Amino acid sequence: MRTKEITGKTVLWIFLLALAFVTLIPVVITILGSFKTNSELTTGATFLPSKWHFSNYAEAWDQANFSTYTMNSLIVSLSTVAGTLLVASMAAYVVDRMDFFGKKIYVGMQSFTMFVAVGAVVLRPQFDLMVKLHLHSSLWGVILILISAHASIFFILLSFMKGIPRELDEAARIDGSSLGRTFWTIILPLLGPGLGVGALFTFRGAWNEYLLPLVFTMTKPELQTLTVGLANLKYGISAASQTHYMMAGACLSILPILIAYVFANKSFMQMTAGSLKG
Amino acid sequence: MNKSKNAAFAYSFLLPSALLTLVLGIYPIAWAFRYMFYNYKGYGTARFIGLDNFSRILRDAEFWNSVVNTFVYAGGKLLLSIPLSLLLAAILNRKIRGRQLLRAVFFMPTVISTAVMAVVFFTIFNSYNGILNQFLIKFNISSSGIDWLGPKHAMLTVILVAVWGAVGNYMLLFLAGLQNIPEDVYESSSLDGANKIQQFRFITLPMLGPVLQMVIMLAIINALKGYESIMVLTEGGPAGKTEVMFLYLYKLFFPVGGSAASTQVQEFGYGSAVAFMSAVIVGMISLIYFYASRRMNRID
Repeated sequence: MRTKEITGKTVLWIFLLALAFVTLIPVVITILGSFKTNSELTTGATFLPSKWHFSNYAEAWDQANFSTYTMNSLIVSLSTVAGTLLVASMAAYVVDRMDFFGKKIYVGMQSFTMFVAVGAVVLRPQFDLMVKLHLHSSLWGVILILISAHASIFFILLSFMKGIPRELDEAARIDGSSLGRTFWTIILPLLGPGLGVGALFTFRGAWNEYLLPLVFTMTKPELQTLTVGLANLKYGISAASQTHYMMAGACLSILPILIAYVFANKSFMQMTAGSLKG
Repeated sequence: MNKSKNAAFAYSFLLPSALLTLVLGIYPIAWAFRYMFYNYKGYGTARFIGLDNFSRILRDAEFWNSVVNTFVYAGGKLLLSIPLSLLLAAILNRKIRGRQLLRAVFFMPTVISTAVMAVVFFTIFNSYNGILNQFLIKFNISSSGIDWLGPKHAMLTVILVAVWGAVGNYMLLFLAGLQNIPEDVYESSSLDGANKIQQFRFITLPMLGPVLQMVIMLAIINALKGYESIMVLTEGGPAGKTEVMFLYLYKLFFPVGGSAASTQVQEFGYGSAVAFMSAVIVGMISLIYFYASRRMNRID
């Protein structure tokens, strides 16, 4: 009985550690690889870099345009987070606290956009629309489209909104506060935790987005984000000689989100688990 | 308070969200719904051709090849990721040491960009000079490396990459479901002498039923519509071996150099019809699964 238990435990831990290894190794390879030379990466078969080349980052930053890509990724992600939270929290406030004609239609529309899977076809009319609005030659087109996909954040904020007692609205109304002022000064601060998780999720989505910025910046390298610029390295004619830039660039893209994850992994995970009930 | 003033306030707060959703979410779908009846290649005038695009779909061998590939890809991804994530969830729901850390580790791939990881996996699996092959050769496991992205193994490789990115997500959803099963059910059953495997079969699985059903449904839809990772990793190649439905659709709207000859030109009308067809296929599979799993629940 005793030995059986020990064997069982050993098998269990070998299984868990092997899986953890497989999960982590691609990221470890990326981080270690970002310090190797191109030839060490393509022929060296080493685990640790034989010599740590921190210069890869400086070169990727200057010569491979990663400074531009990083800046663009930051602009897109931060604007999308701000816009999404604003638009979605305003909508969630009136949908939860007020009755008006068309509320059901609005909610239905939001869930419809979440569940219909039509793929890349929507990118075409979206692009044409931005050309007409003269927003295709800046990142605003990309940002607006990313903000428009706020259905899931709306539903998340709606569930957080339900947790804020209505008595607070009442009290504010009796004190003479307008609906708008109640939202900005009372509801929004109390919505903090919801906004935090929403921000995390929107940031992750916008930062990692690939297809939308790809389509919008195909002929405009100065507007490309990290994901697009990085994937383009793979297609380039000199791809074979730039593996070390690929690794450094991949790190620039992965590390900010990974650092956020180290500190806030509970929030990331809570969010996914919560979506099951919503 | 004035009722119409309240309504005006509500609409003003709803306006940004409703406008964005209508213009950038609903209108593009309506656009596709219209142009699937047209011959339209992005220039000149669009010509109404009725159902011609749909009869073209029926004859389009490349499309049906992509449908078959989608099923293989989705099937492989599900068969590997669902049991694995369920097993992980069952283990990490128990009070074992370091379970928080392990959960965080397994969930980590889901926070990283699919496209970025596809670039990394390309450098790992690349047949010539790839990192994995360097090690296989170094340790004499293979004399000249394995052609991971070649015609024989490319599909397996893209499936493995997809599984890598998906397991943590489903594990977490299963964990949320498992936490709803009361602890004392396990305690009383172990007093009755049930072992862990029996507990899993007769308590965990039945009580997890609805969650299991929902997660599998979600996984099916995700697997059928995913193509970003494949696009970066193999571009659907070699020779269409990993071309899935939604990647084929993407190429009709945004032709990629090096793809099959028939997708070198933009096909907005035909592409819209393909998008509709693909959405119908995903919807049908989900419905079939939904009814099949409900019946199974009743028999249980």
